[in-house]
Formats: sequence, C-alpha cells, structure tokens
Amino acid sequence: MAQGAVPLAPGLSSFLKSLKTTPADPSVEHLIALLKRRQIRNSRPCAVATTALMLRVVGEFKGRDAAKMVERIRQVGRRLVAAQPREVVVGNIVRRVLGLVREVLDDNAGENTNGSDAGRSTPTPHDAMTRPQLSSSISTFSPLKHAHAEPMDSSLHQSDMSDSGELSRRPPLLSSHTSYAPASAAPLVNSLFGLFSQPVDSSNASTPTGQASPDGKTAQALNLDRLAELSQRANLDLKGEVMDGIRELQDELEQSDEQIASVALEHIHANEIILTHTASTTVQKFLLSAAKKRKFTVVHAETHPHDNAATHGILLTGRKRESHMHEEDDQWKPLTAVGIPVYVIPDSHVFAIMSRVNKVVLATHTVLANGGLVAAAGAHMIAKTAKEHRVPVMVLSGVYKLSPVYPFDINELIEYGDAGNVVPYEDGEFVDKIDVENPMYDYVPADLVDLYITNLGGHAPSYLYRIVADHYRTEDITL
Amino acid sequence: MSGPVLDEAAPPPAAPAEAPSNPPALAKAEEKAAKPAEDGAPKKLSPAELKKQKAAEKQARRAQAKSGPAPNQPGTPAKEGRRQQKDSNQTSKDDKSRPLPLRRRASQSNAPAPPPQQQKKDAKKDLRQLGLFFGHLYSQPRQHSMVGASKDVHPAVLSLGLQYSSYVICGSTARMVAMLLVFKAVIESYHTPVGTSLARHLTNHHLSPQIDYLRSCRPLSISMGNAIRWLKDFIIKIDPSTPEAEAKRNLLEEIDMFVRERVTAADKLIRDNAAPKIVDGDVILTYASSSIVEQTLLQAHKSGVSFSVIVVDSKPLYEGKTLARKLANHRLNVRYYLITGASHAVKSATKVFLGAHAMMSNGRLYSRVGTALVSMLANAQSLPVLVLCESVKFTEKVALDSIVGNEVAPPDELLSEVERNNLLPLHPHLPKTTTSKSDDKGATAEDAKPTALDVLKWVEDSQNLHHLQVLYDVTPAEYINMVITEYGSLPPSSVPVVHRLSTNT
Repeated sequence: MAQGAVPLAPGLSSFLKSLKTTPADPSVEHLIALLKRRQIRNSRPCAVATTALMLRVVGEFKGRDAAKMVERIRQVGRRLVAAQPREVVVGNIVRRVLGLVREVLDDNAGENTNGSDAGRSTPTPHDAMTRPQLSSSISTFSPLKHAHAEPMDSSLHQSDMSDSGELSRRPPLLSSHTSYAPASAAPLVNSLFGLFSQPVDSSNASTPTGQASPDGKTAQALNLDRLAELSQRANLDLKGEVMDGIRELQDELEQSDEQIASVALEHIHANEIILTHTASTTVQKFLLSAAKKRKFTVVHAETHPHDNAATHGILLTGRKRESHMHEEDDQWKPLTAVGIPVYVIPDSHVFAIMSRVNKVVLATHTVLANGGLVAAAGAHMIAKTAKEHRVPVMVLSGVYKLSPVYPFDINELIEYGDAGNVVPYEDGEFVDKIDVENPMYDYVPADLVDLYITNLGGHAPSYLYRIVADHYRTEDITL
Repeated sequence: MSGPVLDEAAPPPAAPAEAPSNPPALAKAEEKAAKPAEDGAPKKLSPAELKKQKAAEKQARRAQAKSGPAPNQPGTPAKEGRRQQKDSNQTSKDDKSRPLPLRRRASQSNAPAPPPQQQKKDAKKDLRQLGLFFGHLYSQPRQHSMVGASKDVHPAVLSLGLQYSSYVICGSTARMVAMLLVFKAVIESYHTPVGTSLARHLTNHHLSPQIDYLRSCRPLSISMGNAIRWLKDFIIKIDPSTPEAEAKRNLLEEIDMFVRERVTAADKLIRDNAAPKIVDGDVILTYASSSIVEQTLLQAHKSGVSFSVIVVDSKPLYEGKTLARKLANHRLNVRYYLITGASHAVKSATKVFLGAHAMMSNGRLYSRVGTALVSMLANAQSLPVLVLCESVKFTEKVALDSIVGNEVAPPDELLSEVERNNLLPLHPHLPKTTTSKSDDKGATAEDAKPTALDVLKWVEDSQNLHHLQVLYDVTPAEYINMVITEYGSLPPSSVPVVHRLSTNT
C-alpha cells in the first residue's frame, strides 16, 4: 500500500502500462513478480491485472488449436496462482477465461449436435423456457455425467442420421439461442444457413470418436481430445471470440460496483444506522448510491492495523491512497460530502455500538463456494456480534470474487501480514520477546451472513454454489 | 436541529420595512416567529422561503454592520453547518463567503435577545446532536490542566488529576488506590476550621472539591465511587467529641486498612483461587491489561506450571503491550494480537482470563471496550471465560448495553501520531469544501507542508465525519462462566448477593 505514494512505484497501473508494450511471456513474469512482492494486492487490482494479462496471452496465442490454447492459459494460470495462492481472484479469472474457451467451443459443438437435435427431437419446452443458456454447461457440469451423457446422445442421433444426413451437415451457429428454436422453425433456419455455407467435412464423422473414447480416460482428457477435434474441424474464430469474452469480463469487472450499487435503495431505508468496515470501493459506492435518495448514518470500523490509513483516507477524500495515480477518473465524493454522517470507531467498539446498528454491510476479499467468505481481519467478530444482536449482515461482492474453492483448510486462506504494523520494530525488546501476530484476513462462516449482493442480484449464502456452477466449469476447478 | 432553525425562522423586526417586495413569505415567517419557541418541531422551509429570509437578514445585517463585531458563536454544530452551507449555495456568492455563524448572530441580535438559559439549551442540543450514540454522555470536555481548578484543591490531587487524564494512572484499582493515598495526604494537611466539626466539614467542604476536580479530569470509576462512599460514611460516623489529631490518625489508619483489606488481601485471595485453574499446557488468553490477571499469571508461572499467554490488545491505549512486556520479562511465552485478530487468537486459546472495571448487579461485566468481543468469540469457541474482580468493584448499577452508561474519550486520541503522518499524502485530494474552509484561516497553509496536527483539523473540518471513542463496554452475563472474587468463585448471577455482603459488613 505504501508503494502507491510514488507514481513510478510498481503496482497495478505500472503493470497495465507496461503490458501495452511488453509481449505476453515477460508480462507473465512481471505479474508473477508483482504478486509475489504483494505489490498488487486485494481482489480488484488482481482481477484487473489478470484479465489484462489473459487478454494479452490469448491475443498472442498462435494457431487455432483449442486444446493448446486451454493448455497455455492453464499453464500461465497455474504459475500466477502459485505466485500468490491467497489471492483467489487470480485463479477465478483464469478459470473464467478457460470457461470462455470451452463455452465458445461448446457452442459450436452444440450447434453440431444440438442442432440436429432440434431438427428431430424437440427439446422439452419447459427446459428451453427456464434456462436456455445453461443446457450446454449442464451436460458438462459433472465429469461423470459428461462422460456418459454426451456420447449417448449422439449415438442416439447417429441411428437416425442415416436417413437425413443432409440436415445434420450444417455450419456452426454462433448464437446458442437459435439451436433451441421451436421445432417447426428449426429446419427452416438450418436449411437457409445451409444454402450459403456448406461445411467442408461432415459433423457426424467427428462425434463418434468422442463416443468411442475408452471409459478409462478421464473427463479431462476426453474433453481436451474433443476440443482439439472440434477446433480443427470448425472454421470458427476461436481467438477472436475468446478475446471478446475476456473484454466482456473486463466490462463486468468495471461495472460490478455500479451494478451492486444500483440495488442499494432496495436494501437501505431511511434513518438506518449501518455499520461497515475497511476501505472498500464497492461498499462506498453502494452507500453513496443509497445516499442519493435516503438519509442514514454510517458507523465505520477502521480495521486497524491493515486498512486504517485507507479507511481514513476514503472517508476524508473519497479515494484510497493507492488509487490516486490510478487511471480511475471517476473520483467520487466521500460519503460525508453528500450529507451522510459517518462515525469512525476503533474495531474494539463494535460490540458496544452494535445495539444501535440496524444493518451490517461487509466488504469481502473472496467469497467461497460454501457461502463463507474471506474478508479483512475483524470481519468475523463483526459478523458474529451482529448475529448475537440479531442484526442482518449483508456482504457485497462482485461475481469475480466468487471462488469455486471449498474451504477445507481455512488457515490456508489466511495471510499473515507485517508484524511491524502491530508493534513497530523500533520497540526491539518487545518484538524480540513476544510473538506478534498480524492476521490479515478472517474467515466468516456462511451462517453468519444473511445476504450476498453480487452484480447479479441478491442471494442467500446457501445459493452461492449455484452461481459458482454457472460461472466455472468443473474441469477447470483444479487448474 | 430545532434551535437554529427557529432562529432562522424568526425574522428581524426591521426586515418588513426593508424588504416589502415579498410580503407573503414574511407573513409566514412572522407567524412562525410568533409560535412559542418551546414547540421545538423543526420547520421545513422551502428553498424559496429560505432565500427570501436570507435576503432580509442580509439587509438587516448591513443596516447594523457598524454596530461592531459581536463575539462569534462558538461551536456551530457540524450538521447545522453543512445544512447552512447548502442553503447558502442557493443564495448569492458573497453570501457564501461569509462565515456561517455570523448569520445566526445577526438574526439573534436583531430579534429580542433570547433568555440566556435558552442559549445554554441550544448548546446542549448541539452537543447531543454531535454524539448520535453517546450524546447523553458528553458532559464537559476533559480537563487537561490545572487551570481553573478550585483553590481548595490539594496539590497532590492536582497532580493526580493530570495523571488520570493522561492515562498515566489507568485501571480501576490503580485509580482507586492512588486516590485513597492522595486523600491521606489531603487529610493529613487538613485542619478543621474553628466552629465546625471534622465529621461535618471534612466531607462536604474539603473532600468534595477534590473529588469534583478529579471527576473533571476523568469520570470516577465505579471502585472510586465505592471507596468515596465508604470514606464519607466513615467520616460522618466519627464522634465529634474525638480530638482532631486522633480522628485524623484513625482515619488514616482506616484508609490503610481499607486498601489492605479490599485490594491487597483480596488480590491475594483471588490469585490463590485463580492460579490453580491454570494447568500444564494451557493457553491463557487475556484482553488489555489487568493487574489481578497479571498477578495470577505470574503466580501460576512461579509455581512451575508451563503455559503460554495470548494478549489481545486494541488501540488507542495499547494497555496490553505493558502486560505482555511484563509477562515476557518473567520468561513467559507470550503472543500478542490486536483485536482484529481476536478470532484467530481464540482458536488456539484454552481459557480466557479477564479483568474488570466493574461487575454490574445484573451479572454483566463492565470493562475495557473490546472485552465483550473477546468473551463473545471465546464463548462461541466454548472456552471458559473467567473474570477476576475484587468485590470493591461490584456495583448495584445495572445496564443492558454499553450505550446507556459509558465514558467518552476525546476523539482525537483515535489517530496516533504515526497514523496522522501516514495520512499526510492525502492532502492534495481533500475535497474542496475542506480546503476552501482552511483558506479563510490562512492561505499560506495551502503551500506549507501539512503537519500531523493538520490531519486532526481535516477531520474536524470535514462536516459529518466524527471520530467516536468510548472506554468501556458491557459484556452479557451469558458469555461469562465464572467470576472469581475474594469471596470465592461464583457465577455472574451471584454478583448482587456478594455486593450486598460486601457493603453490609
């Protein structure tokens, strides 16, 4: 954090700047170094840096072999995660990018198999109505299901295909929705497309291979095989689409705060007393958006000794210290400037003040798939106190912080910070004789949280696993 | 909220003549002015009305501008200031540049002067508004000097008061003992004036100013209150016929006895009782610093039990540092956490020992702020929570939360010197409102390098930003498993019984 003071200090902005001119490989090294030295820390900078790097990596990727691309992303991702395993967001972004590649491929593969589907066996109407875009990912959600279900599917079609080979031979459709068009319309659409572009090789030639692959093969390998074949066969612009997807991811990162803030009025009513902690852009924007319409009071625990400087900074000026040279132009006013009284309290006062508090709004570092979260130290005692006082706890988090990791070992996720922040090293005698510990994060179990607000809306903690399933592929969970 | 708004609503009597162009608004304003001031309900004025009023006020002020500067109204509340500034944005530019309190003065000086006690009420209201949470506790600012102390105050008491207010003497027991020792000096140098008796005069006329001064330095602790009550009771019971020298000697002896019985002996009993609770391999967690916990830990350590200690501490007092250092000097294995790491600290602990500022009659523990958090976390981990407390700290007071009764500390203690210096680079990013405000005071401040003291000024200047600090919190009885006193170990529900026992005997 202290590096932010000097404009040339290595950090997120210097990395982004150098990324424009540096090729992918040195940039990977650069980011790894920054992560290792904690010169990029906290979820959002990590996410931004990783996405930018991924864009670069994919952009420089040569060849159209999807399997190789997946392998390349994976290999970069593995190194980034190894550099700083506790910044779970890095892994999240890598998985999202991998998911993108697979989605692009699946969409195309989907055209090939499902398209023929549409021609013959109509998908059940309610399935198509409720979650049309899920269907492709559901088939691959569990490795077991994937391994069995898909080949079975195609083999079924296989028997029928003999009499209508014409129909099955069709070019990949990029939009997944068309494939779920009503049965009556599907043949028409398909044949119209077929008029203009005839695929070079038949699609049914490829599908049986997947089916024939021995059962002993892992889902992973099977998947890669299939990917390779698909990408070789289909003349799709894999790279372009993946890059488009990454840019969408960047947009998501940029907009998640605004999207979360847009629902603020649904959660904050007039004259509430809201307790929050640490210096979080997301929370500040959320409260600011509510402040446009409502009057309320904010109690801010300063999160000593990690973020207290940033907390005071955010309250005095409306920006964190490290971000003032960051390109972030949309400087926002501090809450106090829009007429919201803010009371700063030391962290020890949380219990004393909680009996007056209506709602607790927490920022988070990472949200885990079981609904628990890792947040700045002190979050656990705040959430616990709120529970004891029956005060609802809200957690604000962009979907990018949502991780498919299950916390089997909580201590693994907790980073310990510089003990010098707790007791300055000048106090040599003290530091010498006494173990000074400075955990930087707290794990907050799911039962202490009442509501998660992500850029997709509000969710109960118990529902988070579903959002995880929507955003990450099972085959990518272990990088 | 209501006071200043009413002030604004009262138009200067001269206004109608000077501003005849807007009769309806003025009629309305007059109607409001006619209302009794006691009705108190804040009047919502439309911006247009405010504007008109302001114009009228401005004219009135110009008319009486030569009447000389009146003393500025000190301490305009932050919220009011913001409101008024927002209002002034709507009016003309020169209106904006004018310091805000002036406007109030103008309207006040023109209107029939309000009775002084109403002004006092205003100030009180302002204070209450300032402290949304502990507003009822802001009595008077803490005394940090001897200036203004009554001439009756004994020099030993003066120095003690300063030690209180600067936290040199801190902690319930220490403060009580120090007070009693100082009172001994006071009593020693006391001579009963002719025509009164020691029993009558000493308490009311000689000790009271001392106590008042101590209270102005820092509110009295529960134990101090108990000791003072005991002392006064004892003095009143002195037979008026006893010669002064003998009475004084008795009194001094009795004070020594009190300290010995209620503190020294009690501490010994408590630590004898508590130290065996520590067994080999224990990890004892404690919060902040308590002399009796320290004694207990050292006694257990001396008896050869091998255990380690976790000290959890919090800013701004960092009392735990002293404790940790003392324990470490005795070669105890000590780990040190800040309160943010408390949830990690309780994970490896096996028992929690807490000191007390007071035990309340509903079984709740009133202690250094943060104790409740630690005991809550420990309770959630099913760790036994033991409170060590002399019975002199028991009180018949009850409280359900930490807000009804507490001690408010000066908010500027929240930011230490180092932290203030860390915030200095923020200076160029301060919002315009704050910097422009400091411009009024001196444009040179803009160029000069900001110092640590300026940071406090930023906080002060930043309307709506308040730093809040109290010293104690109330731990619910259900988090406490055992209270160890000199009467034995009891559940928190037995506190009122012991309190009755200890005060009746």
